[in-house]
Amino acid sequence: MDAATLATLLDPVAISRAETLGMHARYLVEGYMAGEHKSPYHGFAIEFAQHREYAPGDDLRYLDWKVLGRTDRYYIKQFEQETNYVAHILLDGSESMKYGSGGYPKLAYGKMLAACLSYLILHQRDAVALDIFDNETREYLPRSNSHAMIHKVLATLAAFQPERQTNIAAILHEMARQVRRRGIAVIISDLFDDEEKILEGIQHLRFGGSEVVVFHLMDPAELEFKFNGLVEFVGLEAIPNILTRPQEIRASYQAEVERFRTTLRQGCEKNHVHFVPVNTGQPLHEVLSGYLAFRMKTSVK
Amino acid sequence: MSFLNPFMLFGAGAIAVPIIIHLLNRRRFQRVVWAAMRFVKVSTEKNQRRMLVEDMILLAIRCLMLALLALAVARPAMRSTTHNVFGQSKVTAVIVLDNSASMGVSDGVQTRFDKARKVAEQAVDALPSGSAAAVILASDIAKEVIKEPTHDLNLARKAVREAPLSDRATDLFPSIEKALETLKGRSAIRKEIYIITDGQLAGWRQLGDIHKTLKTAKEQTGEQQVSAHLVLVSDSEERNLGVSGLVLSSGLAPLNRPLRFEAQVANYAKQEVKDIKVSLLVDGTSADEVTIPSIPPGGTRSVPLNTRLKTEGWHNITVRIPGDRFPGDDARTLAIRAIREIRVLMVDGEPGTEPRESETFFLGHALVPVSAEEAEQYYVKTSTIAPADMAGTRFDDFDSVVLANVPDFSADTAIAMENFVKRGGGLLIFPGAKVNTAFYNAQLATARKLLPATFGEPRGDAAQDEKFLSFQTKGYDHPIVALWNDGNAGTLASARFFRTFELNLLAAPTGEAGEKAGKRESGKTASTTNTLASLAAPKAILRFSDGSIAMAERAVGLGRVVLFASTADTAWNDLGVRPAFVPLLHRTLGTLIQRHDDGANVRVGAQFARRLTADLLHKDAIVMAPGAATGTRDLRRIELVNGTPVLSYDATDKAGIYEVSIADPPTVIKFAVQPDPSESNLSELPVDEVTALGLVAAVQRWNPTLNIREWVEKARVGAEFWLPILIAVLALAALETFLAQYFSRAK
Repeated sequence: MDAATLATLLDPVAISRAETLGMHARYLVEGYMAGEHKSPYHGFAIEFAQHREYAPGDDLRYLDWKVLGRTDRYYIKQFEQETNYVAHILLDGSESMKYGSGGYPKLAYGKMLAACLSYLILHQRDAVALDIFDNETREYLPRSNSHAMIHKVLATLAAFQPERQTNIAAILHEMARQVRRRGIAVIISDLFDDEEKILEGIQHLRFGGSEVVVFHLMDPAELEFKFNGLVEFVGLEAIPNILTRPQEIRASYQAEVERFRTTLRQGCEKNHVHFVPVNTGQPLHEVLSGYLAFRMKTSVK
Repeated sequence: MSFLNPFMLFGAGAIAVPIIIHLLNRRRFQRVVWAAMRFVKVSTEKNQRRMLVEDMILLAIRCLMLALLALAVARPAMRSTTHNVFGQSKVTAVIVLDNSASMGVSDGVQTRFDKARKVAEQAVDALPSGSAAAVILASDIAKEVIKEPTHDLNLARKAVREAPLSDRATDLFPSIEKALETLKGRSAIRKEIYIITDGQLAGWRQLGDIHKTLKTAKEQTGEQQVSAHLVLVSDSEERNLGVSGLVLSSGLAPLNRPLRFEAQVANYAKQEVKDIKVSLLVDGTSADEVTIPSIPPGGTRSVPLNTRLKTEGWHNITVRIPGDRFPGDDARTLAIRAIREIRVLMVDGEPGTEPRESETFFLGHALVPVSAEEAEQYYVKTSTIAPADMAGTRFDDFDSVVLANVPDFSADTAIAMENFVKRGGGLLIFPGAKVNTAFYNAQLATARKLLPATFGEPRGDAAQDEKFLSFQTKGYDHPIVALWNDGNAGTLASARFFRTFELNLLAAPTGEAGEKAGKRESGKTASTTNTLASLAAPKAILRFSDGSIAMAERAVGLGRVVLFASTADTAWNDLGVRPAFVPLLHRTLGTLIQRHDDGANVRVGAQFARRLTADLLHKDAIVMAPGAATGTRDLRRIELVNGTPVLSYDATDKAGIYEVSIADPPTVIKFAVQPDPSESNLSELPVDEVTALGLVAAVQRWNPTLNIREWVEKARVGAEFWLPILIAVLALAALETFLAQYFSRAK
């Protein structure tokens, strides 16, 4: 991978700001290595938690010999383990993500967001798994916390080209089934799909114990809808072309978009999911640092 | 409801335009590749019905606008008294302004014509804005000053203000007919004719026809209806004296010899007029004066006036009576050309043994009716030769040649004779027993077209004196013999003709000339006698009592040929010893000599035409009319008519002397135009006839307080609706603009 791609995907400003904030797990995460995040596992760890009575079959390594010597009772020492987490980054790679009115297309913006988050998470020694999907998983990088992972992520992102329509709900359900360890699922998408199904998928993911963060990407043109005259809209996905006078339906359109976002936001809030509306016209560092600052405030330690 | 421009209704087809534009616009759009289709789809579905309704409303308004615009341009109109909300409907009017001579009658302050012009101007002023007016000057012809009704009412006003008074007679019918014709093709809801005249009886000769025409026009429906307004500007002037005639009694006007003019003075009043001073002016200088003791009402008196002409060339001879309220007929002018001497060559076909037996004995004495001593001083100089000497004679040394019983002559002589006549010579032919009629008919009549008639068989027997023919006793049409229409001038009928040749008048030279002249005459009155066609056509001068021709003449080139049916001596008749022979011969000679002066005196309005020499062809002649300002001169080109250069002039509207000058070679010609005596009779249309006219036209007599506007506006009804429709179109346009903005605002 060349330096240009690296520079395109990794926004230095965004990364420098994000590094100071960090991406911390909001809930208890199940890691496989001692780290910054509290782990739900009690056992071998650094910080002592409690004693419990020995039961046959317990590992004798954790038997508290001092207590046995003094009291002749068999106690097992238990420790609170600090661990790392696995962040699943789910990037929507459907055709609708190709749209962009001026600046970055949604997909490019999504790739940059995914790259920056990956870098940030890997930099914290946490693990990242990347999943680029449309109606099924198109590219998948299994979790890894190695430094080489960032290169793999960047290369995968850079090489990806969208081809098909989206089916987010199916991917979320699939993901919920696959993830065994509780971690963070970051969904980066325009969510142009049935919002009820999407929310069901998110709920499923949350039910599995994962924290879910939704970055909802929309282009400024999609939000403002500032077209004049007679326009034929050529659909990037299944809906056939529509000929209309956009200025006459602008209010109605914007209301429809607002209704859609509100439904998503409320659905997410109900499931304690962070719903981050992103206008791709905004600089990435603003969006990322804004969210991370908000996250830091609301995190429970 | 009718439409003044019904064809414009086809413009309603333009309602297809917005539909086509709408359909075309549906094909002109911007294409945008779009991801958030579901929102567009939902909002389009939600708004589709509303947008369709809005589109339909706009389309309907646009179509309605165009349909109404087409309707407005088609000018819908309705004749009704109740629709004056939008102002009066436009009027298309024709002003018929009488400018005949009788309109010159003055009331001491202003003439009838001055009043008529003011009335006409008021009538133009009273037209609603947007109206159109044409102007016709009515005399015995309809002179269209503004032929097609103009919307420039200032132009119409100017035309009325600057209308000239003419000396023509009046006949209103042609003008009224022309006015109706002008209105026929026009699109207007209201059509009006304003006839402004003095109501002189002479102008209403065709009253029946006028009545019928106006009635038909009034009874038409819709836009074909024409309402007529008649304004009578007369002020019942009954007294009028006029010079009704002036002639030169002797046919010729020789220099320094006494000339006798006969002037006729008529009294048109109902009272007797006494002590009328009649003066004769030669070139503006008083020459003679006679006083008529009295003229009874309706009577005419002839007075002789004498003078001598001192210089050669053209002179104006004017007879004047004291002025009255109608100055147009108080003077009459003739153009007369004074001649120094006339040289006549007589060819004697039968000299006889002694002078008395000579064929030209009586002829010679009649031409020079003075004693041998005085003959030297006399203006007619005669020479006599035998037929054999003709070949060696230069005809051009003479003004006129008389052939008396000449059998025949050589072809060369015939050619010389033809050239002589064509150059302006006069030829007088008397037949006799020796005449070779075959030669005359073949060589002179048919081949050279010199004779007005061919010789037929001789009739009668010269040896007896019981059976004879005499000249006609009345109805003398030709100028040569017109003198004898007056019983005081003696009689022609006393002469007896025992043997005569039958004369068969030849046809007019070519059809083309007649046609050409006919074309020139079209549109003019039949009273124009001096036509170009009749200039060259052979015609009878005098007939016998049985109707056969006794004298015939024709013009050839610049000259003229007169043919008699009988002998010059007393062999076949006794004309030579009758008193009428001398005046007849002199008047004939006068016609031959004054060939150039053909029609030097014409009736007003008649065409003046003069044959001229070939060197003047295509030259420009400047004609100066009497009373015209120095700057206003008419230019006429001398054109070839029937092989002869002819100057013709037909704008003879004013009576008096017209002077024609041609620059190169310097030539001056004068002719005089005489007014029509019928105009002098100022009798007016009877009251009951005026009342009858009131049924077909609004009639109003002029008075100083007459308000034309008030008078005509009462009669005007009807309205056009283009203005309210146009306002509706504008309102729709405004609504369309607003709705288009409102509908297309961001929603």
